[in-house]
Amino acid sequence: MNHTPIVSARGLSRHYPLGKETVPALSEADLDVMQTDFLILQGPSGSGKTTLINLLGLLDSPDAGSIHLDGVNAASLSDDARSDARRDRFGFIFQGFNLVPVLTAAENIAYPMVLKRAAAANIQKRTRELLAAVGLADKAEVRPDLLSGGQRQRVAIARALANAPGVIFADEPTANLDTHTADTILDLMQQLNREQGVAFVIATHDPRVMARAGRMITLRDGRIVETPA
Amino acid sequence: MNPWVIAWRNVVRNRRRSLLSGGIVVFGFTSFALAGGFMAQSFYGLRNSTIHSGLGHLQFADAGAFDQNDDTTLEHGLGNTDAIIAALAQDPAVKVVMPRIEFFGLATAGLRSVPFMGVGVDPMAEARGSDIPASVSQGRWLTPGQREVVLGRGLARHLNAKVGDTLTLLATTPDGVLNAVDANIAGIADVLVKELSDRYLATTLPLAQELLNVSNVVSKISVDLHEPADVAATGQRLLAKLRPLSPDISVKRWDELAAFYGQVKMLYIGIFGFMGAILMVVVFLAAINTTLMTVTERTREIGTLRALGARRGSLVKNFVAEAILLALVASGAGALLSIVISLALNATGIVLPPPPGSTHGFPIHIQFFPASYLVATLAMSVTLAMAAYFPARRAARASIVTSLAHV
Repeated sequence: MNHTPIVSARGLSRHYPLGKETVPALSEADLDVMQTDFLILQGPSGSGKTTLINLLGLLDSPDAGSIHLDGVNAASLSDDARSDARRDRFGFIFQGFNLVPVLTAAENIAYPMVLKRAAAANIQKRTRELLAAVGLADKAEVRPDLLSGGQRQRVAIARALANAPGVIFADEPTANLDTHTADTILDLMQQLNREQGVAFVIATHDPRVMARAGRMITLRDGRIVETPA
Repeated sequence: MNPWVIAWRNVVRNRRRSLLSGGIVVFGFTSFALAGGFMAQSFYGLRNSTIHSGLGHLQFADAGAFDQNDDTTLEHGLGNTDAIIAALAQDPAVKVVMPRIEFFGLATAGLRSVPFMGVGVDPMAEARGSDIPASVSQGRWLTPGQREVVLGRGLARHLNAKVGDTLTLLATTPDGVLNAVDANIAGIADVLVKELSDRYLATTLPLAQELLNVSNVVSKISVDLHEPADVAATGQRLLAKLRPLSPDISVKRWDELAAFYGQVKMLYIGIFGFMGAILMVVVFLAAINTTLMTVTERTREIGTLRALGARRGSLVKNFVAEAILLALVASGAGALLSIVISLALNATGIVLPPPPGSTHGFPIHIQFFPASYLVATLAMSVTLAMAAYFPARRAARASIVTSLAHV
């Protein structure tokens, strides 16, 4: 196994303006995301979980500290290069699914591959495989508004896997799902982690999710307070 | 995944808003197309009336007549006229040959004397190549061999003369001698330009030559061509043919002589160009409002697409493509509406007021002018693309985290 972290964060801090004040959302966080990690970020609301995921996923930039992506400092990347890095090496799963409403399930899954300008035949083949992998082979041409919450999240997972990323960031992926559907989604994520070697970084305060942690990090008031050995 | 299909789905996603933006484009397109059609018809009408005012497609004259003012009548007259006219008439490209003598004089009817601008013409040739004979509203046009004149309505009024009256025409010959002839009034013409109507007098070429005591000489020869598209080339070919008959002969095209046409054309282009620019601003301001709403509504989607790896530029391109698609579809609807309105307006026979300097109004006519439809489509597409570009650019440059948190 390769022990080089996919994403390595050191001394990450992020403040947000609130009126005339600035509020610290994350302070001096150190973290490595390893291959095959099933890493849970847990903590109460406002503890900095989402901020940390946003920074690790290059959706936001830190006020202080650094993020290295396979040894390259993300601060040196242009906006387009950061976009390409998100497209090629990361996947994202959102609490609200965030599917594009005018695209079918298959088109939503294909979208990251289209962005990568993959060959049309490859896109079709990969989309079919992913739809089958998340159990939605018969929903390819269905628009998101006609899918259930669980089905939408499965499409979101398939979309996150489209370009075979090294790590998938998921922010409260089960928050809008019932217990049974949430378990199914978590089973699927763990299965993908085990069988395809995709690392998952999941922000949650759902005990069911925490119970499945491979590694768990606890945040409180913007600081990492517990890190596994 | 065809990007235009996706763009179309986004266009129809919010039908009411797209209908509003499309309606703005239809309005803008129709305004452009109708103004363009009206302008094209005006140019066409002005061009034809200019050419058929006696100017012809080509004019042949002594080089001095084009370059300098005559100090005396026929100072730069064109000699050997009979041979030149015969040579022109035999050429297959030539439709009508209209020799003319231009002169000034004094017309007397009873106790009234009024200065006039005279033109001696071949009545038969003018009837074929000029609109003046058709503008005679009282009496008739000139008859060859008769000692008669046709007056502009304004000149007839100043002289208090009517058809059948006899006038005495007084003019200075090229030798500086005063000469006079008598002539009957054959008809009164409705000359469009008021200032010309007050001074216009036409007579036969022989009577003008008798008054000026000249023979086989004219001021110029106007020529109508069968094929107006080849005016310049035909002019040079005919000039080469005529040079042996008159070494100093020169030729000018109608558009070189009709300064008025060029000025009016530039004025129209200036006015309609200015109105077009204002129209584009109005369409832009109206469209940017709805585009801003659309972009704001899709802020979270923009954040998601950015998170998935879409570059800022590609997102802006998507919004611009949607705007252009909407502009093209709405332009198609605008084209149909423009044709319907044009046909309806043309059928009404509404007469527009006379333009400055004219005595007659003219019926409105909107020409089907494909270039104006093309320009309108282009203008609407560019305007809508700009209206989409700025809000989309702003949204694409916004923080991804902020966009994802947008509700």
